[in-house]
Amino acid sequence: MIEATNVSKAYTRGVYALRDLSLRIDKGDFVFLTGPSGAGKSTLLRLLLRRDVPSEGQLVVGGRNLANLSPRQVQSYRRSLGFVFQDFKLLPAKTVLENVSFVPRVLGMAASQQQRRTFQVLKWVGLQHRMTAYPLELSGGEQQRIAIARALVNDPTIILADEPTGNLDPDLSLEIMNLFREINARGTTVVVATHDRELIRRVGRRAVTLDHGNIVEVT
Amino acid sequence: MARALKYFFAEAAASLWRGRRAAVLAVLTIAGGLFVLGLFLALNTNLQRLVGRWSESAELSIYFKDDVTQDQLRTVDELVAQSGLAEHRDFVSKDQAAARFRQDFPDLAGSAARLETNPFPASVEVRLKPEVRTAGAAVDSLAATLAGLAGVADVRYDRRWLTRLNALVRFLRAIGIVIIGLLAVASALTVANVVRLAASAREDEIEIMELVGAPLEYVRGPFVVEGILQGGAGAVLAIVLLWGLFAAARFRYGQLAAETIGLGIITFLPLGLCLVIVAGGMLLGCVGGLIVARGVR
Repeated sequence: MIEATNVSKAYTRGVYALRDLSLRIDKGDFVFLTGPSGAGKSTLLRLLLRRDVPSEGQLVVGGRNLANLSPRQVQSYRRSLGFVFQDFKLLPAKTVLENVSFVPRVLGMAASQQQRRTFQVLKWVGLQHRMTAYPLELSGGEQQRIAIARALVNDPTIILADEPTGNLDPDLSLEIMNLFREINARGTTVVVATHDRELIRRVGRRAVTLDHGNIVEVT
Repeated sequence: MARALKYFFAEAAASLWRGRRAAVLAVLTIAGGLFVLGLFLALNTNLQRLVGRWSESAELSIYFKDDVTQDQLRTVDELVAQSGLAEHRDFVSKDQAAARFRQDFPDLAGSAARLETNPFPASVEVRLKPEVRTAGAAVDSLAATLAGLAGVADVRYDRRWLTRLNALVRFLRAIGIVIIGLLAVASALTVANVVRLAASAREDEIEIMELVGAPLEYVRGPFVVEGILQGGAGAVLAIVLLWGLFAAARFRYGQLAAETIGLGIITFLPLGLCLVIVAGGMLLGCVGGLIVARGVR
């Protein structure tokens, strides 16, 4: 599903965010990327989101070499992904319903399908009763659940999450991780970047530890 | 396709409403540019009509000395006939010329009557064929030959000043095109800036659209439609203002124009040209929108 071969990412003046990284994540896997700040977790997620391309090496996802995609192919590729960020990236001027239905809407889905999918995922994250609320009226945990609903509404094959519990307390963090576990149980590949080792221990899945752009441990 | 268009228009309308002050500024800028364009086109249309009308009545007039002989008159007449340039020719005697003056200028008729001799020369008025009206060189050559004949006092050829008038119209049109070009660029850039403001207000939305893999048309379409709506609105406003100006000018100066330059009625732009202006406005807006949309990905 995801295959990184000798991937390096260098920024200006020869500073490497990733160096000669090789990693394989199979379909249906749940993998944590962990390590201290600056280890390269977010850089790897940026590459997987195709917001950036490797300086060296090859990153292949679902048989597609991400470096060779045209702008249209990038958009098509991203439709197979769901993303969740630490800062939620919800649109404050839109209601919960509008935030989630925004995705199928801009993907050109029919109105009836948009509605059906939006209700399904909101129900699934347990926030169908907050559809008319605005993001700033919700708690951090609720906002992150809305972000997860938005990531799921397009029925992606891979979920990428960058520090999704970074702004949440431990109980809420575990609650969010349980959602990811449920998503994974349905066959979706989940890649979560976090520096929270305790959380990884409690969830108990494969963890790839990065440091200075290198893989230093796989557990 | 219909779903996409509905989305583009809904987003563009919402964005215009959000940034309505800037949008009004862009619409006014486009309206200003297209108003000048329309004004030039309308002036051009009316000037062309005037020149056309004057061209139709363009004549070659050959004035004779008082002592011209019948043989000399015949020579002139034969030369004009053989040139093949004349559609029609009329001999106007001295008495007929005096009578025409009295009729055209009744206030001055008394003064002319007090003169001891008739000062008006006999003449031949030559109506040129329509196809030679633009062939100035042949008529110029005929006029020069006639002027050198015995018994001929003077030869007047209206075409010369009509040619100059035409050249002036062409010159004004060229200046107009340059001004319109500059205004078009200014309008497109204004739209681009307004759309760019709208784009920066929607930065988060655009980022999410990109991340979820929205088709590029969905990301860019609303900006292009926003530009088109602004351009179209500006063009319609320009035409309404122009129409108002022309209605006022016709009411105030229509009679004067008819009396002084023989232009029966000042005409507004034909419907086809109005539609071209609206299409032009939309195109300008579209260019402005595209400038921004191309930068969004």
